Amino acid sequence: MLKIHYSLDQKPADSIRDLEPPKVLNISVRNLVLKTRKGAVLAKGDQVAEHPSPGGGACHAAQGGKVKAVNYHSLTVQCTGGEETVAHVDVASMGKGSELLRALQELGVDVAPLTGSAEVLVVNGLNPEPGVSVAQQLLRDGGEELRAGLEMARKLLSPSRAILAVSKGEDVSIPGAETVGIRAKYPYSLDALVVRTVTGKEFPEHTRVINVMDLFDLGKVTLTGLPVTETFMTIDGHNYRVPVGTPVRHILEVLDLKAAPGDTIVLGGPFRGESIYSLDQGVKKEDYGMFITSSDAIPEVQDAACMNCGECVLHCPARVLPHLISRYAEYERFEEAERYGLNSCFECGLCAFNCFARRPLLQYIRFAKAQIRAKGQGTQS
Amino acid sequence: MNPPILKAMSDISLRLTVSPPPHWRSGRTIQGMMRAHLLALAPAAVMAVVMYGVRAFAVMGMAGTAAVLTEVICLLLQKRDVDIDNYSALYAGVLFAFLLPATAPWWLAVIGGALTIALGRTVFGGFGCNPVCAPLVAWAVCRFSWPGAMDIDLNLAAYMANSPVDQLMHFGVSSLGQFDYMDLFMGRGLGGLGSSQVVALAAGGLFLLAAGWIRLFIPVGFLVGVAGTAAIYWVIDPTAYADPMFHLVAGSTIFGAFFLAPDTASSPVGKIPQTMFGLIAGAMVVIIRVYGVYPDGVPFAIMVANLLSPLLERLRPKYFGVR
Repeated sequence: MLKIHYSLDQKPADSIRDLEPPKVLNISVRNLVLKTRKGAVLAKGDQVAEHPSPGGGACHAAQGGKVKAVNYHSLTVQCTGGEETVAHVDVASMGKGSELLRALQELGVDVAPLTGSAEVLVVNGLNPEPGVSVAQQLLRDGGEELRAGLEMARKLLSPSRAILAVSKGEDVSIPGAETVGIRAKYPYSLDALVVRTVTGKEFPEHTRVINVMDLFDLGKVTLTGLPVTETFMTIDGHNYRVPVGTPVRHILEVLDLKAAPGDTIVLGGPFRGESIYSLDQGVKKEDYGMFITSSDAIPEVQDAACMNCGECVLHCPARVLPHLISRYAEYERFEEAERYGLNSCFECGLCAFNCFARRPLLQYIRFAKAQIRAKGQGTQS
Repeated sequence: MNPPILKAMSDISLRLTVSPPPHWRSGRTIQGMMRAHLLALAPAAVMAVVMYGVRAFAVMGMAGTAAVLTEVICLLLQKRDVDIDNYSALYAGVLFAFLLPATAPWWLAVIGGALTIALGRTVFGGFGCNPVCAPLVAWAVCRFSWPGAMDIDLNLAAYMANSPVDQLMHFGVSSLGQFDYMDLFMGRGLGGLGSSQVVALAAGGLFLLAAGWIRLFIPVGFLVGVAGTAAIYWVIDPTAYADPMFHLVAGSTIFGAFFLAPDTASSPVGKIPQTMFGLIAGAMVVIIRVYGVYPDGVPFAIMVANLLSPLLERLRPKYFGVR
């Protein structure tokens, strides 16, 4: 029986577990710029793709092996289990500047939030979604990396204040940051709401947010000089260190989990995650959990008409009008959707969660945003 | 051009369900909502049958059946999926029947049930698109077309009790001494066959509130609007105007507060608009009862407030981060 709850406070029971390494990696390269080709032999940590956006982090092989297949969607690496790794880059001793940012980007760190300068740096230490305990785990067990990560972030942004937001009552801290407790209930873990709780302002200027998972990666890169090739995921109540690209099939096999036909397997969290269509899909760097929902647990989404009950509006933490946004998005009138608060939405998913008519409201909102973004790019070029 | 392979690693041995987030949902559906609403009407329907006999049941059955069949025809004509299994048409038809006198002829119930769907909903786009509460549209059409057949007081003249709101309109406040408010609260006053079953409707409404199917804003706003406006008149001149308690238990005030006003499509969206909507509708009830030519102000009051919904929806807070 599926237990639906909003609580974000779930203390991890044990330490981070290692996952048996997979024989095959399926690294998602959709919308990335490929830097390797079929037949290439990769060492552990070799770059396979670059991110096309200015700050996006590159993508690396989590294990050594041979590239067996490439298509627009993913890159398959047959792992040989070789021990050879790439040479480490000494980012810790580099001076502040574009060279350091470039080096971090090459090592897989998304440097967009670390570029420029900021007055306030907020570290979001709340578990991102119910059922995920990665953030609490890293805050407890990843002290050294987090300290190094915060030092690096402070060096890059030179903020006058650094604030660590954690669930209320949690006794953790990172040297160099003041700790603020936040009510551990979804959606208060989302960046926009964490910043509002901490600073008292909505979408304030000169404020940057970084979550604990990214800060940990930054710290690890700083300490080791090796690229980011693994992510931490909450699976079945425990936290695992998972190489990026591990096929979901492998996770199910080694952890002895079962998925029946018709089930939904979600990478990420239950509110905002992505449901996969094939067990061969590999996990991505930003995935922080894996969930299996049986097909009969929840009434399925419907392409139904809105009946104007207003539940979405009453539940919306951004005070926007999802019922109108979704109707305009449905008929591709995106400019009108913007008039009803599309740009204030931070995609918590509570509108679709509560919709009696089971409309895919979050999907419509993301669709409208993506279409407007694509249109903007079209006119610029 | 589409990419050559749409699903790069699709796998037929284990077909997974792919759905948009969120992957957890509240589990609430329109079907569940309408089922709960029908359940909330059940006590009043039982009380109506006890009071008026089996003919009350026949009126509800005919109106409900006519509504469902009309919905089927309308959906087929529009080439849409026939989704009468969500009970929304049945619910709307029964709501209409609740406003009729128990002696209503069969043709009135059938025409009303059909109008509820055809004129109340379908012409505006179907369930969820009606700007005015659908059963009230049918009620208004029938009230103007067949005033004799719709008149509560006239049709139920054979009963010993009187209709409190008609007494107030025709004979003034001095005639209200005949009513014990406890009797009216228990449903022992004449009125629409279901809409005067005050205690049963209140129980159903509280059930809907407790189960979270309707929100507090509209019912509370409505009741406060009725009581507040009635209190103002009563303070001005207790000999000319009825007291607030009378307005709360007489006519279909409770029915309007919990069932007609919170109709999803025709009521506004958001806390402030919904509260304002309730207050305006409630105030209109008393104003129509005081000045109007119709004894029970509830249907027209709610229809007027429905028309204000788009305006009221402009009373909303600024979007997150907008200065």
